[in-house]
Amino acid sequence: MARSIWNGTITFGLAAVPIKVHSATEDKGVHFHQVHAKDGARVKQVRICSKEGKEVPYKQVAKGYEVRGGEYVMLDQEEIDAAAGEHSKVIVLDEFVQAEQIDPVFYDRGYYLGAGNDGQDAYRLLHDALERSERVGIGRWVFHNREYLVAVRPLDGVLALHTMRFGDELIDADSLDIPKPSRRPNRREIEMASKLVDSLHARFDPSSFRDAYRDRVLDLIKAKARGEEPDLPEAPEPQEDQDLMSALEASLGGRS
Amino acid sequence: MARALWAGSLSFGLVNVPVNVVAATRDLDLHFTQLHEKDGAPIEVQRWCSKENVEIPYDEITHGYELDDGGQVIVSDLELQAIEPRKTRTIDIEQFVDLPDVDPMYFDHPYFLVPAGEDDGSLRAYRLLSEVMSQTDRAALGRFVMRAKEYLAIVRQRDGALTLTTMLFADEIRDTKGIDDGHQKSHKPAPKQLDAAVAVIEELSTDWDPGKYKDRYRARLKRVVDRKRKGETIKAPEDAGPPEVPSDLMEALERTLEELQAGNGKRR
Repeated sequence: MARSIWNGTITFGLAAVPIKVHSATEDKGVHFHQVHAKDGARVKQVRICSKEGKEVPYKQVAKGYEVRGGEYVMLDQEEIDAAAGEHSKVIVLDEFVQAEQIDPVFYDRGYYLGAGNDGQDAYRLLHDALERSERVGIGRWVFHNREYLVAVRPLDGVLALHTMRFGDELIDADSLDIPKPSRRPNRREIEMASKLVDSLHARFDPSSFRDAYRDRVLDLIKAKARGEEPDLPEAPEPQEDQDLMSALEASLGGRS
Repeated sequence: MARALWAGSLSFGLVNVPVNVVAATRDLDLHFTQLHEKDGAPIEVQRWCSKENVEIPYDEITHGYELDDGGQVIVSDLELQAIEPRKTRTIDIEQFVDLPDVDPMYFDHPYFLVPAGEDDGSLRAYRLLSEVMSQTDRAALGRFVMRAKEYLAIVRQRDGALTLTTMLFADEIRDTKGIDDGHQKSHKPAPKQLDAAVAVIEELSTDWDPGKYKDRYRARLKRVVDRKRKGETIKAPEDAGPPEVPSDLMEALERTLEELQAGNGKRR
């Protein structure tokens, strides 16, 4: 397991659990550098003062919040960091909610928690108590000078921590004004669609999905590294639209 | 109407539902511009060739992939376009799975799917898929291509609408091996201790009400900006330091329970 990215304490009530935070996810996307096509040299970003027309060293860069067109309030990093708040090394789980009440849309980034120094007993206790009560602990976490709402839950024998989206960051489905059909789907349509869903039902097996695009990019890179010219894939024929009932029937292939 | 980030059709079996992908989140973060500290002038970022030390126009920039041996492979836009996934107008549902089986760890970025066009057949097909999935607590897995990248996506019903969430691939989620989870027998909590911890959790239990949690960081950052605008000095708050907690877990739990129950008693 990769080294921890944060060490601190989780508290619930007066009990304290020393923990370490590890990333649970990693970006496997293929990343390129920008290079100059002519000579293959790395492209560097140069900061130019729009007033003086001269390069600005990184140390002289401040942050500006635009309060009106072209008018900025200037802050340095320290002042921005001041917004992080206190309790920088403690996550207080002051509320617990039923895991099933939280829609997955609220979960943002995922992390794993490991036990901190001599914290194994307390870690196991919190894990087992969350598992038994089917609850998720809710608290606040200050990470990289920013405070997050977090949820702590048991997952595959360890504790997982998620940063959470705030309610106001989510767009309400009602605001989409989705038009309704003139009549609701009838019983026969529901039956047929259910059969179709059943016929395509499978157990979720995440390892059966590969990032085919990533594979293709890496293949292209490998081929080019060997000095080969890449092959170009063919475009498939587009499908024609059909009406709902006959499409459902055709999908089931006479099994209805 | 919300802006379409993608337009195409959702296809399961031979049923095609024309849909648009629209945002399900809004960015409420405060965004900052880089300024030159000395004169407060905005900074313009230019791209320079690190060899020639001159600014280069955008069309002279291409992509370099660094190999493990330090070498570099240059890949052009044209070559990347050639391997772009072709089928760009369909969300192909490959299978339906039980939603509780899909751990939220796999969920990446959420969107909504809204019906495109007003024809009754499409609206009914949209409604049909939404109802059938919500009745059976199932979700659809499929692939779709957006901005030249192929995504694995999960489509499900939420609040009467179909949502599409891009997903992480299995190899993007780390193994929990090596996490110190205190699974050894010696760390197993005593039944009395576990009962007390569960009792504390139950005392502190409440319904999930996402609206009540405010982004205090965003609010504080706004205050910092406002105060700075008025010319005030901003100082970081002192760290609170480690919490004072009893070293004995059982004692901590018992004291917590006493305090919580006394508190609840007073309220009643």
